[in-house]
Amino acid sequence: MLRLININRRLGDFALTDINLEVSDGQYYVLLGRSGSGKTQLLELIAGLEHPDNGTIILDNVDITRQRIQDRKVGIVFQDYAVFPHMTVFGNIAYPLRVRKADKKYIAEKVEKVAETMNIKQLLERSTNKLSGGELQRVALARTLITSPRLLLLDEPLSSLDTSLKDDLRGLLRNLNKAGQTIVHVTHDYGDAISLAKMVGVIHNGKIIQEGTVDEVFQNPSNRFVARYAGIRNFFKVNISGEDGLLTAVTEQNVRFKLNGAKLVSDSLLLVKSDLIVLTNEIPEDKELNTIKGKIAEIIPIESGMEVTIDAGDLFYVKIHSSDMKKLRLIESQEVWMSFPREAVIVLNGTF
Amino acid sequence: MNKNSIFTWIVMILSSLVLLFILAPLVGMFIHTEGTQFLETVKDKEVHQSIWLTLWVSFTATFIFSIGAVPFSWLLARKSFPFKNVIQGVIDLPIVLPHTAAGIALLGFISRDGFLGKTASLVGLNLVNHPSGIALAMAFVSLPFLINAARDGFAAVPERLEKAALNLGASNTKVFFTISLPLAWRSIITGFVMMFARGMSEFGAVVIIAYHPMIAPVLIYERFSSYGLNYARPASVFFILVALLFLIALRLLSLKRKEKYNNPDAQTD
Repeated sequence: MLRLININRRLGDFALTDINLEVSDGQYYVLLGRSGSGKTQLLELIAGLEHPDNGTIILDNVDITRQRIQDRKVGIVFQDYAVFPHMTVFGNIAYPLRVRKADKKYIAEKVEKVAETMNIKQLLERSTNKLSGGELQRVALARTLITSPRLLLLDEPLSSLDTSLKDDLRGLLRNLNKAGQTIVHVTHDYGDAISLAKMVGVIHNGKIIQEGTVDEVFQNPSNRFVARYAGIRNFFKVNISGEDGLLTAVTEQNVRFKLNGAKLVSDSLLLVKSDLIVLTNEIPEDKELNTIKGKIAEIIPIESGMEVTIDAGDLFYVKIHSSDMKKLRLIESQEVWMSFPREAVIVLNGTF
Repeated sequence: MNKNSIFTWIVMILSSLVLLFILAPLVGMFIHTEGTQFLETVKDKEVHQSIWLTLWVSFTATFIFSIGAVPFSWLLARKSFPFKNVIQGVIDLPIVLPHTAAGIALLGFISRDGFLGKTASLVGLNLVNHPSGIALAMAFVSLPFLINAARDGFAAVPERLEKAALNLGASNTKVFFTISLPLAWRSIITGFVMMFARGMSEFGAVVIIAYHPMIAPVLIYERFSSYGLNYARPASVFFILVALLFLIALRLLSLKRKEKYNNPDAQTD
């Protein structure tokens, strides 16, 4: 088990602040953050390539904060792979065993085995400068896995791969994790988190701002930054009034929302989950629903159908399926009704 | 003709003039050297000895000093320490010093009264007028070429690769010998060849330390001052040809060495 306790590290203007993290054995932990959020620095601290100003790093009940890199049994795969260009694929994968002066026969057997797992056995004699990004990634992974690390750290492993290669590698990482490998994976890609993570941490400006299972984090984002990650674009500054259980939120443009909740601050940031918004040409009959009328400002195609931008004083973004689009015969400038339950409305705590 | 091509033409003409300035005196010297005179010089034992002395002393000086200079270059490329910029300046000093002044400074150091001279005399070695003194003079003026080239070579090796090697279990020494050194190899060899070539062509510092035994540049000067241009020219041509052959051979060897590093069995065991 990995534990980071109150880790702080200043690097010029940027600082990792009060990082506390726990990754249990066999966990697949995805640390999600934009570039410059501090996620790579955090990985380098865990690997021992950098040292924290203060705080403690514990791996399997041993304090490794000041331990030598070579003794940590933590493997890191860098974003740019860091495959040695002057060695063949075999030379790269065999490197960790060679520096430990392992027996040649043992090295050959071990390299072949790990290359087979990574599906790169046919590349072993090739020079690394003739490999594709996906192949390089597998070589880098194989080279790290041959050391049997207690903890595998992955820095944006999928960022420079095309979609089909991404799927292949995601499958490979999932299988590795199923086989018991503990993984900490940092990425800026929400898709990686959704498809791989058992636990997600969101890092922003050097701080972990939310942590939990994928559902916990993305169903209940604690602030605007995390919500944006989940693809939510419907944010509104509102003034909330009313009694407990009968609250009304009003935007500056006088758009009104009915919402559940108690003891809410009057000036808040509110989000509406766009997948729960239903479009109709007529006003819905259910009085419990939030119903808002607006005019279609724009319709743009997206992967899963269409995104319709509706001007109701404030702009709403609604994703709908292509078949619904045909059924409703939506066109730009047309007036439509949006309806959504109270549960679709979330009031955020942090408003940055 | 557009603006770009006018610019290109001007650049090409200026470049040709510079190239001509370098080549014309050399070509002139080759043209003005008579075949019979050249053949006589080729057979001249004194010329043989001085060229051989120049080559092996410069090569030995380069080789021995590279043992310290290459790790020093790595230090300059990778580590931060106080007065690093001052030290970088000190390394370049021999390039800007008048070489006779460098020779005088060195003579004070290696003569019997100097620190190194005194130490050497304890083992019965007189550095002045001796190949070892010549080697020191050559190294003194040519070391910056090796250090600067090797430093740039080490700096160009991505630090990520060294970090990856550390993470894979290699010690700092292993990382140096299996990652940094092989990847900076081409620059180091370039520096080695430059240092060797610069040492070989040194006159000013060497002539102060040792007129005898005579290295080729001193021999050429002596022939010129005693017998004139016609007598010095064939020796110069011969020396230039031999030096060129030696440099080409070194380059070819370094390329072979580079290929060896692509062999997976060559790096770590």
